[in-house]
Formats: sequence, C-alpha cells, structure tokens
Amino acid sequence: MDELDLLKKDWNKQQNQDKTLSSKDIYPMLHKKSSSIVKTLFYISIAELILWILVNTIPYLYSEEYRNKLDVIYTNDYLFTIVTVFSYAVILLFIYLLFKSQRSISVTDNARKLMESILRTRKIIKYYVLYNLVVAGLSLLIGFYFAFTKDPKAHEVFASLNDNQLILVYGLITVVTIVFILIIWLFYKLIYGLLLKRLNRNYAELKKLEV
Amino acid sequence: MNKELEHSFVELLEKHQNIIHKVCRLYTNNYDAHNDLFQEITIQLWKAYPKFRGDSKFSTWMYRVGLNTAITLYRKSKRSITTQDFEGVSFKMKAEDYDDTEEQQLKLLYKAVHKLNDIEKALVFLYLEDKDYREISETMGISEVNARVKMNRIKTKLRTILNP
Repeated sequence: MDELDLLKKDWNKQQNQDKTLSSKDIYPMLHKKSSSIVKTLFYISIAELILWILVNTIPYLYSEEYRNKLDVIYTNDYLFTIVTVFSYAVILLFIYLLFKSQRSISVTDNARKLMESILRTRKIIKYYVLYNLVVAGLSLLIGFYFAFTKDPKAHEVFASLNDNQLILVYGLITVVTIVFILIIWLFYKLIYGLLLKRLNRNYAELKKLEV
Repeated sequence: MNKELEHSFVELLEKHQNIIHKVCRLYTNNYDAHNDLFQEITIQLWKAYPKFRGDSKFSTWMYRVGLNTAITLYRKSKRSITTQDFEGVSFKMKAEDYDDTEEQQLKLLYKAVHKLNDIEKALVFLYLEDKDYREISETMGISEVNARVKMNRIKTKLRTILNP
C-alpha cells in the first residue's frame, strides 16, 4: 500500500477527536486582536511614512535659522517651490499606492496570490524609503555644493586646505556616507528579514514548483 | 457586525472546527502554539466572513483561509517557547487498530510529515483531506500538473524516509 494511503486511513479515523471547543470558547476569540504579518507590515509602513515626513519637517519647525534660510529661498526661487510641491505629491502618491495595495491583500485568495500581494505592499514601502534616501543624499550634496561655493566662511576654510587635507575631507565624507547607508540597509534587512523570512521562503518554494 | 452574523459564524465554526485543528497540528508542535494559530485562523475567518457568499462550501473556504494563515500570515508566538513539546502525542494512535509494524510505520510517517516544509505540508494536508488536484492547485495557486508532480515527489520522499 502507498505510504500516504496508510496515513490517510489513520487521518480519517481521527476526524472527530478534535471537536473540543464550544461556541462559548469561540465567541471571545472573534474579538481578540490579530497578530498577522499583514497587520505588522501595515504598522511599519505607517511608521515609516510618519518618520520620513518628520525627518523632512522637524528641522523646519525647530530651527529658526533653517526656517529663515528656507523662507528666503522660497520667496526668491520658484524651483524650490516646485520641488517642494513635487515632494508632497510623491508622498501622497505613495500613501495612495500603499493603501490600495494593502486593501488588495485578501486571505481568501490562493496562497500564491496572497503572498504576491503582501510582497507588492512591501515593495511599495521599500521604494518609498529608497526615494527618501536618494532625496536626502541629493539634498546633502546640493547643500555641500552651495555651502562651498556660496558661503564665504566655508569657502575660506576650503581654500586654506592643501591637497592631502582635501583628500582626507573627501575620504571622510565618503566613509561617513557609506557607513550611514550600511546602517540603514542593515536596519531594514533586519526588520523585514525577520518579518518576511517565512513568507519569502514559502514563496520561493511555490515559485520553484512552477519552473 | 451584527449578532446574527456572529451567531451563524460561530455555529459553522464549531461544526467544522476539526479542519482548523488539523491545520494547527500540522504546523505547530506544542499546545500553546496550536491554540495561538487556532486563534489567528479564527480571526482571519471572521474578518473574511462578511465576504463569504456561500457559493463555495464553508469547509472549502476554511481550508483556504486556514492554510493561508498557517503558511503566510501567522507569526510564531513568543509564548510557545516555554511549553512542552507534544510531538508524538499530537497524533493519537489507537494501537489496537494496527499491527506493530503498521503502527511503527505510522509513527515514522507522522514524524516525516512534520519534517516537510510548509508548502509540502499544505499539499499533503489537502491530499489527506481527499481534495482532488484541481482543488489543490486552486488553493495553492500552482498548476494542476505541478501539484501532481510535487505530490509524487513528496511520496517518494516519504518512502525513502520509511525504507532507508
């Protein structure tokens, strides 16, 4: 006899041995909180949205000097206004995509489709973070550029450096940037790695079947 | 959600609870984890219940939600670490029904099934529940041919474990 048929025979014999819960036990279960990865993923996404909005606005709210500088720039330069409007539009777009994707996750889909919807949601938030990192990096570069070319003090300091010191400064900036990116990358690897380990493994297994 | 809906859901769940218990036994190996997964599957079923149209059987629908929760949505609970393992106890065997070799073989088989990966377990579970390959493929989102091929591989795997 086939091994699985032997198992099946036994399996069917235990059909009713598990009916242990009464409706009294089941009612309270309906009102407990779910601890599914979809919920966790949703909370992390919201936290990330808020975090990056805060990162972008806190300096504006807390530093008067920064605010004054920005106000001068905004009144003088249309480009910066356009950039700001654009960046808020991007955030709104991400929020829309995230909610749309989150809503499309349905536990009644087949296993593969469910996994794909969750991974798509994860991807949207990944692109959101990536977008913010790129913008942060670009802002830093532009900031440095303006400081060195427009700020007389910084310009003076720079002019007084010899070649070796210059290389050291550039090297330092590069190392700090790499370390910063590495820490962020590790941070994300850790959160999503832990959260989605099982999902990724099972999705890979399903995909393998379809090759 | 109104009381009537809640009542009809609980009634159906109570009647078909053995399906969830079987999923839990397959995917967990201690009492607390079993209850935890049972709880999560119940929540997922309840959340999806308003969309349940009745065009499929409630039990068929439970297989899908139950397996999806076990394979994809469920995060192992922290509580499950401290409790005793119930591997071996989980599948109560009635010794009088089998001769020694068959009982021995069954023990080995259950152990072997527990060692399969999540997807393989899902396929074995649906197979043991007498689902045809069309339903297996629809539940998992793979083609019928691939479901068949994989099932044959699992059978070979189990055979090798039993007859090394």
